[in-house]
Amino acid sequence: MGTGSAASVVQTRALHKRFGRIAALKGIDLDVPAGSVFGIIGPNGAGKTTLMRLLLDLLRPSSGEIAVLGVDPRSGGPDLRRRIGFLPGDLFMAERVSGQELLRCFSRISGPVKPGTVRALAERLELDLGRPVRALSKGNRQKLGLIQAFMHQPPLLILDEPTSGLDPLVQQEFLALVREASSNGQTVLLSSHVLSEIEEAADTVAILRSGTVVSAASTAAIRASAGRRVRIGTTVTEAPALVERLGRVPGLVLLQVGADPVASGATSINARFDGEMPDLITALAGQRLLDLVVQEPDLEEAVLRFYGPEAGAGTGDGGAG
Amino acid sequence: MSRLPLFTRSLAGSWRPLLGWAAGILAVLSLYLPLYPSLAGQDFQDLLQSLPSELISALGYDQLTTGAGYTQSTFFGLIGFVLFTIAAVSWGTRAIAGDEESGTLELVLAHAVSRVQLVLERSAAIAARLLLLGLFTGLAVLVFNRPAQLGLVPSHVWAGCAALIGLALLTAFVALAAGAFSGRRVWALAAAVAVAVGGYALNAVANQNPDLDYLHSWTPYYWAFGAGPLSNGADWAGLTALYGTSTLLVLLAAFALNRRDIGT
Repeated sequence: MGTGSAASVVQTRALHKRFGRIAALKGIDLDVPAGSVFGIIGPNGAGKTTLMRLLLDLLRPSSGEIAVLGVDPRSGGPDLRRRIGFLPGDLFMAERVSGQELLRCFSRISGPVKPGTVRALAERLELDLGRPVRALSKGNRQKLGLIQAFMHQPPLLILDEPTSGLDPLVQQEFLALVREASSNGQTVLLSSHVLSEIEEAADTVAILRSGTVVSAASTAAIRASAGRRVRIGTTVTEAPALVERLGRVPGLVLLQVGADPVASGATSINARFDGEMPDLITALAGQRLLDLVVQEPDLEEAVLRFYGPEAGAGTGDGGAG
Repeated sequence: MSRLPLFTRSLAGSWRPLLGWAAGILAVLSLYLPLYPSLAGQDFQDLLQSLPSELISALGYDQLTTGAGYTQSTFFGLIGFVLFTIAAVSWGTRAIAGDEESGTLELVLAHAVSRVQLVLERSAAIAARLLLLGLFTGLAVLVFNRPAQLGLVPSHVWAGCAALIGLALLTAFVALAAGAFSGRRVWALAAAVAVAVGGYALNAVANQNPDLDYLHSWTPYYWAFGAGPLSNGADWAGLTALYGTSTLLVLLAAFALNRRDIGT
C-alpha cells in the first residue's frame, strides 16, 4: 500500500465487499495499532466475520485496499499467514482426528511451534488433546481453536468471537492469554457481539454496523460518551406528574414507563441520562419515590445506541444493564 | 515444519478406508476369477450365442472366452470399474467441495499453505491411494492367474491396472475440479458421475455400430479399455489421454480455487 504507517498492523482503506447484490462491507477504514488489543463489535451480520476473512485472503475484496503486517493478503500468501493466528467464528475442524493430531498437522504447516507450548496451553484451558474432535463439546472445540491460533506465537492474532461457548472461568483464562500476548508485543484483533469481553480485553474498539464503521475510539472514550441508566420507582398515582417533570430535564431520555414487574401498585420509569447530575436531582427533589437506581456508564449501553434507535431498551433485555 | 503436510495428513487419515476398499476388491476378484475354468467350456459358449448381439457388445462380452477377455469383462470393465469409480468420486468430492461445505477448509487455508499447494497435495494423496489400490489389484489378479487358468501376461495385467487407475484418476479429478470451481459437493459429485457413467454409456452405444465409432474418442472408458490392455498390452495413446487429462484437471482445479472466495 505504501502509505501504511509502520505502526498499523492492520490497515484497510475504502474496503468494500459484495456478495452478488448484497454489500457486506461498505467502505471500511480501519487502523489497528501495533501491540494493541483491538475489538470489533457489532450485531450479527454487521460484517465482522467478512472483514476478518478478507484479512486472511479467504475472501477477496470487491474494491479498496488491505495491508496486514504491511503486506497485501493477496500477495502475502503463506508467509503472511504463518505470522497470523486465526480463530474462525464458525469453527469447523476435521472430526476423526484427535486434538493432538490436528494441532500437529497445523504446526507442520504454520510452525515452528516451541516444544511444550501446546501442552502448556492445553493445561491452562483444561483440554484433553487425546480425544477425537468429534467427541468434543462446543466449548472444548473452541479451546482447540484457540490453541491452534496461539501456539506459534504469531505477531498478529485474529480471533472471531473467541469466547463463544466458553464457560466464565475459561473466559478469564482467555483474557489472561490475550493480556500476555499483548505484553509480548503481539497485536490482537478480536470481534464479538458480547461487549463484556471486549470491554475487559480491548483498549480500542471499532463498532461495525451494516458494513460500515460507526465509531472507532478507545474503550475509555466510548465509556465517557455513554449515558447512565436511571430507573425510578414510584406509585401509580404519582407517575404521570413525575414523568412530566422528568421530560423537562436536559439530557434525559425516557425509555420506558410501565407497571413495576415486582412491586404491585408501583410504576417503574426507565431512562437514559447523559446530562448534568444536579438537574436530575433537582427534578426528583421532594417527589415520592419508591426506588432510585443510577447505574455507572456502561460500554454496552453506549454501543447499543449505535445499533439502533433505543435498541435493548425493554426491561426484558436485562443484558444491557 | 515438514514438506507436504497436507499430503501426509490426507494419507494418514485414509489407511483404514483403504484397507476396506482393498478387501472389497479382493472379495470381488475371488468371486469371479476362479469361475473362469467352468465358464470357458462349450456350454457357456452356446449360452453366449443365444444372447442378442447388441447386449454382448454393450457389455463387452465379445471375448469372454479368453482369460484376458473374461477378466476384462467381469472385473476391469465392470465391477472393478464401479468400485474404483466410487472410491474416486468420493475422494475427489471430499478433497475440496466436501471440506469447504463442512467448513474445515477455511481453517486449513488460514494457515501457511497456498491454495495451489492444497490442490496439488490433495490430488497427490488421491493419486497415491488409487495407485495403492491399483497395485493391490494387479498383485491379486496375478495370484489368481495360474489357479484360475486365466493365462494372463503379467505386463498386460499391469497395463490393465494402469488403465483402471488412470480412468479412476480422471473421474476423481473431475470431482476435484468441479469442487474447486463451485465449492459445492453436489456439483462435484454430479460432474464426476456424469463423466464416469456418461463415458461408460457412450462407449456401449459406440460399440453398437461402426458408424458411431467416432464416439469412442470422446469417452474416457474407451481410452482406458478400448485397445484391450489385458489382451494386447499397454495402449500408450489411451494412457496418455487419461493421465494427460487428469493432469489438466488438477491444474484447472488449482487455477479455479485460487481465484475465488472460500466458503461463501
